Amino acid sequence: MITFDSVSKNYSYGSGGLTDISFEVEDNDFIFLVGPSGAGKTTILKLIMKQLKPTSGSIMVDGQDITDKKFNDTTALRRKIGMVFQDFKILTNNNVFENIALGLKVTGTHDKKIKESVEELLTLVGLEEKKFMFPLQLSAGELQRVAIARSIIGDRTILLADEPTGNLDPKTTWDIMKLFKKLEKKRTIIIATHNVEIVNSFKKRVITLTGGKIIKDQRGGGYHL
Amino acid sequence: MQSIKRTPYQSLASFMILFFTLFMAVFFFTLTSFFSSMLSYVETRPQVTVYFESTTQLEQINRLKEAIMQSQKAESIKYVSREEALKIYKTSISRDEPQLQELVSAETLPASLEISAKKPEYLKEIAAFLQKQPGVDEVVFQKNIVDRLHTLTTVLRGVATGIFAFLLFTSIIVLITTTAFKIALKKDEIELLDLLGASKFYIRKPFLEEGIFFGLVSGTLAFATFFGIFFALQPFLSSYLRGIPDLSFYGLSHLQLFVWPPSLAFIVLSYTLTVAFGVIIGLLGNYFATSKYI
Repeated sequence: MITFDSVSKNYSYGSGGLTDISFEVEDNDFIFLVGPSGAGKTTILKLIMKQLKPTSGSIMVDGQDITDKKFNDTTALRRKIGMVFQDFKILTNNNVFENIALGLKVTGTHDKKIKESVEELLTLVGLEEKKFMFPLQLSAGELQRVAIARSIIGDRTILLADEPTGNLDPKTTWDIMKLFKKLEKKRTIIIATHNVEIVNSFKKRVITLTGGKIIKDQRGGGYHL
Repeated sequence: MQSIKRTPYQSLASFMILFFTLFMAVFFFTLTSFFSSMLSYVETRPQVTVYFESTTQLEQINRLKEAIMQSQKAESIKYVSREEALKIYKTSISRDEPQLQELVSAETLPASLEISAKKPEYLKEIAAFLQKQPGVDEVVFQKNIVDRLHTLTTVLRGVATGIFAFLLFTSIIVLITTTAFKIALKKDEIELLDLLGASKFYIRKPFLEEGIFFGLVSGTLAFATFFGIFFALQPFLSSYLRGIPDLSFYGLSHLQLFVWPPSLAFIVLSYTLTVAFGVIIGLLGNYFATSKYI
């Protein structure tokens, strides 16, 4: 469970911050964060990942107050969370297998267990034939599949995605979103997006932000520009 | 290895400064070891020799010997009779010169006492005391040699420490700079690892391993270069240092540690210390860089 309690984040340069926002995300919930650029979507994701500290308020992740001064286990927190980015963040010197394995390698998992997990995920994302290919040999959609596989490997129960389809063509966008749908039952998924069509077709909980404030939080909701 | 291939010039800079530092380290280590051992050797030699007149009685010499021992300033005193002096003379004269051997008899050589002082500063006092005694013909002492070796060893240690400290500092600065550059090149990868939940140590480990690798390789090459030059010059050094006996490394002769001529144990010790220094410097430089920039 993720809880934001009166969280504010001010940036010295102005836009993109948050003002006194509160919301709760149940385990295995599927949420879209929508809103214009600078509304604070990415800030929410970075606060959950503890890449940023809020100016005020508290954030609880799995019962732990990650904004508490005494909280110092950011490494363990990040091992519970997977993150997917618009620009994929795939290591170009590593092949598909190695990129996915990285999510477990950093936790010190045994090689045999890593191999099993990666093989399983390669099948899930449909890249079993391309496991030894390098990023330059893959399409954008395939790169995003690699990134998704990497973000759910191991015991990662929370999946955060920041504009995951921003760099993809419409057909690939839908393929990727179908993949997210496949994953929803076993983990909490929070996707920040601008894509109206996707949000409206999924009929999931939608949190709409504008100027750093939540203006709507609706289950089975939609998004209108 | 991948990181070295990706940044060849930065890696070369790290390697070269480490190589130079370690070469100078092994050079000064060997040199100071040699002079320290030389000093220890000279200090154990008789430093004051007193020659007696031919009329001086053995009882008189023994009384003098007793008086010096009671002063607590002498480490050891050895009596050399006329007969023993003749033996020493004969062994020091070449057998090819029989005339020189026949010219000298026990009667023509004086009896003597060979005295080793507990501290070099007692030499002058012992010599002055002996010169006032009846029956003494001549007093010879080696204070100047010991003093000079003392000064030389002290200066050498100071200079070596200064140069090594300077090179150590420069090496660490160069390593920090080149590693900082490599960290900047891998910024995206490091950020990704951090987001995936990698520990700080996991992220720093490849840089620390690289530091160890540089230390090992440059230490081995610095050692090989130094001893390569050393053994190439050994025939010249051997003739120049003829007469100098086996010099043990700080008295550790039971471990077969000899500075001159260098024993295998001393060479192994030099290699171990050079590589250990290299690894420590490489680790320290990269540790500081990763602490600051990761």
